[in-house]
Amino acid sequence: MKPYLGLLRMSTRRILTYRLNSLILWIGGATFLAGSLAVWHALLSEGAIGGYDWDQMKAYLLVGWATASIGSAYGDWWMASRIFDGHVATDLTKPLDYQWARFSEHMGGLATEFIAITIAATAIVTFTGGLVVPGPGQALLFAVSFLLVAPLKFTIAYITTMACFWTQNFMGVSWAKDAIVTLFSGALIPLALLPAWLAGPAAVLPFASITATPAALYLGQATGWEALRLLAVQAAWVLVLWWGARLIWRRALRALTVHGG
Amino acid sequence: MSLVEARGLTKIFRRPEKDPGLRGSLKHLVQRRFKEFRAVDGIELSIEAGESVAYVGPNGAGKSTTIKLLTGILVPTAGTVRVAGAEPHTDRMVNARNIGVLFGQRTQLWWDLPVRESLALLRDMYDLSPAFYKQRLERLDEVLGLADLLPVVARKLSLGQRMRADLAAALLHQPKIVYLDEPTIGLDISVKDRVRQFLRELREDGTTLMLTTHDLGDIEDVCERIVIIDEGRKIFDGPLAQMKDRFARVRRMHLQLAEPTPAEKLAERLPDVEVIAGDSPTEVTVTFDRFTHTAGQIIAGVLDVVEVGELHLDEPAIEDVVRKVYAGELLR
Repeated sequence: MKPYLGLLRMSTRRILTYRLNSLILWIGGATFLAGSLAVWHALLSEGAIGGYDWDQMKAYLLVGWATASIGSAYGDWWMASRIFDGHVATDLTKPLDYQWARFSEHMGGLATEFIAITIAATAIVTFTGGLVVPGPGQALLFAVSFLLVAPLKFTIAYITTMACFWTQNFMGVSWAKDAIVTLFSGALIPLALLPAWLAGPAAVLPFASITATPAALYLGQATGWEALRLLAVQAAWVLVLWWGARLIWRRALRALTVHGG
Repeated sequence: MSLVEARGLTKIFRRPEKDPGLRGSLKHLVQRRFKEFRAVDGIELSIEAGESVAYVGPNGAGKSTTIKLLTGILVPTAGTVRVAGAEPHTDRMVNARNIGVLFGQRTQLWWDLPVRESLALLRDMYDLSPAFYKQRLERLDEVLGLADLLPVVARKLSLGQRMRADLAAALLHQPKIVYLDEPTIGLDISVKDRVRQFLRELREDGTTLMLTTHDLGDIEDVCERIVIIDEGRKIFDGPLAQMKDRFARVRRMHLQLAEPTPAEKLAERLPDVEVIAGDSPTEVTVTFDRFTHTAGQIIAGVLDVVEVGELHLDEPAIEDVVRKVYAGELLR
């Protein structure tokens, strides 16, 4: 456990080293959030759309933005670049489980991400006149679901990263992943607003567990057994992807070529 | 059983085969062709505990690939490897505790943080006690001058400093066997000497060393045994002295003669050796096998023909051997 906590701390320190870079990242993120709020404020001025009124949409956008922020400080490219620049070779000579080690580094970003999320929530409360808050029961369900977002996003990023073993580059894969996750998680617009041909795949893919599930629990759209079912689906995806990643990793190692030096 | 044992070790990579130009690239998109490439081809290798082995060969000979197979980074296509009883690529975690690895061209330090932090992380990874950690740092400081480097952020180190810090990182947990992939690459003479001194001390401490290098000074200073590979195959494995006996038999005597003498005239007197005229009519170079002729015989032969003014002798150097290997002369 100790080396993994050590990695987590190192990762946090690395992110803090580049304070200015992080600041710019969060300013960009905040601009996007402010822009989404403005667009939806205009759209919803004539009444609710798809069951979302302005207050609910504000909360939805905040949850969506918060779940999108998880893992962003660490940056998938960091994990990927170690594969295509060959540093994976030194990582493999360490007595650590590769997946747990990368997960620990991924979690190293949580500290700054939580600070940013807190600031964003405070800003929304201050500048838009309050925020819908769930009751204690729903809040607990939401908290569990929000915690599961971290490993879920990690496994998806990790699996995407492993594409580097075959593609030797990360850009295309990374952009494709981001586009698909943003669309099918509900981070772009609530899944309820998608046309049927997009809502279908969204319902069976793991990405809904990233944004749609925590948002539904926060807003109280899913309660009781339905809430527990959503949490179970989310947890199941974490396990399936975690172990699936291990299988892919084993194959990826066989494809590994580290040339030169 | 030896500490390191490789039997029939083979690694085949697949390389895309593309025709030249944009046309070739586009064609490759629809019709993918690959060429198999044997980076390591049936290597047999046994290394006993405490040995120091130089692993030498031209660029692309398969040196680094072998190291990566021995350290468990790559999975062999065929053959077996055992290092301290463990199979590196399947028992990667067990193997990792026995070995220390330095890739001269890649750092294992955390680039954005002080060196001390990277070492503290390694302490946690290898589960070293605080007392042992302190003792190791002191020892490494003695030989590598580590103390000055500890508070420095890794990316601000010079190449020589970085290599010293990386050596410390590779050796912190006092591994049984240390693989060094080009440990002196890009270093200036004084740092090189320091690193070599350190490697000699390491060897005296009983650590098993295997190093790949293009620097022949590394080999003569640090290693007793040399393994030469080319095109993935082993072409020599034995003590340095034996390698010289086998491949570096040729000595060269440069003579300054008292009066102009044609090389042919000397060649008549010295039938089994090569006599080449020098830049001026009074200079000749005699090349001979040190096992069939002594320097004395050559001098005696020349003196029969002409008086000799000055002479000097070039001893065979491992440079010559390795140069021949690199030029592909020893393979065939």
